[in-house]
Amino acid sequence: MDEAFERRLPKPEDLSAMTEESLKAAFAGESQAAEKYLVFADQADEEGFPNIAKLFRAISFAETRHARNHLRVMKGISSTADNLAAAFAGESFEIDEMYPAYGEIAKAQKNAQASRSIKYAVKAEMDHKWMYSEARDKALDGKDIAAQPVSVCLICGHTVIGDVPDKCPVCAAAKEYYRTF
Amino acid sequence: MADAFRNTPPAPEDNGVMTAQNLAAALAGESQASQKYLAFADVADAEGYPNVSRLFRAVAYAESMHARNHLSVLGGIGTTTENLKSAWGGETFEITEMYPAYDAVAKMQENKSAQTSIRYALMAEMDHQGIYDSTLKGVEGKNDLDVKPVRVCPICGHTVIGDAPDECPQCGTAGSYFKEF
Repeated sequence: MDEAFERRLPKPEDLSAMTEESLKAAFAGESQAAEKYLVFADQADEEGFPNIAKLFRAISFAETRHARNHLRVMKGISSTADNLAAAFAGESFEIDEMYPAYGEIAKAQKNAQASRSIKYAVKAEMDHKWMYSEARDKALDGKDIAAQPVSVCLICGHTVIGDVPDKCPVCAAAKEYYRTF
Repeated sequence: MADAFRNTPPAPEDNGVMTAQNLAAALAGESQASQKYLAFADVADAEGYPNVSRLFRAVAYAESMHARNHLSVLGGIGTTTENLKSAWGGETFEITEMYPAYDAVAKMQENKSAQTSIRYALMAEMDHQGIYDSTLKGVEGKNDLDVKPVRVCPICGHTVIGDAPDECPQCGTAGSYFKEF
């Protein structure tokens, strides 16, 4: 990203409390719209509307621009070492508090699919937590992590560094359905 | 698609009210995590950590899979016609209620960057509302969109079908920066 580009972005700002509340809610809204439109794009592909799929992907990208702008104004984007610490804290909260609480309630209400969706997420967040922890240690020393593939299961989000397993240990999806980064 | 997997995403389900609320909160959390990690990936690239950047992108993708799963259980994935109506409804809410309310607060509190971030989003949502509206009319007649590129401003999210303008009418970014879908 060059400087001329960077200059046009809304800048980080000391925000009054109500404006900060507004931007937080807008960030949540834009983030969810971006994710929904990606799912809607897959659905349009399946129904034989490739150009509508393309439209949903483009508008999803536009929403990611809005999400990033709001996050930037709220000072939510900093150095990589600090970003890794924030990511680690978010994963820890989901593992220690959020998903266990949601899992208990889904069990009490006998919602089997909800329980499955929650289990898939919490298992993957555990992978993410230690990956972020190791990456942060390196970044604090000014070092990048090793150049290994990172692969993600399309069904449950299971995340693995290095070789992909024959089938996903969390949801048993076949190895062909991992996406490698 | 289903038989290609040894497993499938969690299915729609009638949930207890508390479970539905929790899944809605988890959808918001996963969506925001995904957007943060994409923003953090750009920072890691700029700081010379390409492998940390790749890790952030992979984990962002995993969070997208969780968001899709939660959305599926909540019954939020319909046919393309229903999805376009839902997308149009979301954009309309942001245009007529959410962003005008947030903008009024940010103006009163004299938070300039916040106003810029809100204005960029609001202007683009108007593009999206119009595009979804005309696309919906096509789909109701069983027609896909015309095969034209969709272009998005990487600063403000301004969205056009067809050629990019010389410079973005909302934020002044050169048209050569627009991302094409």
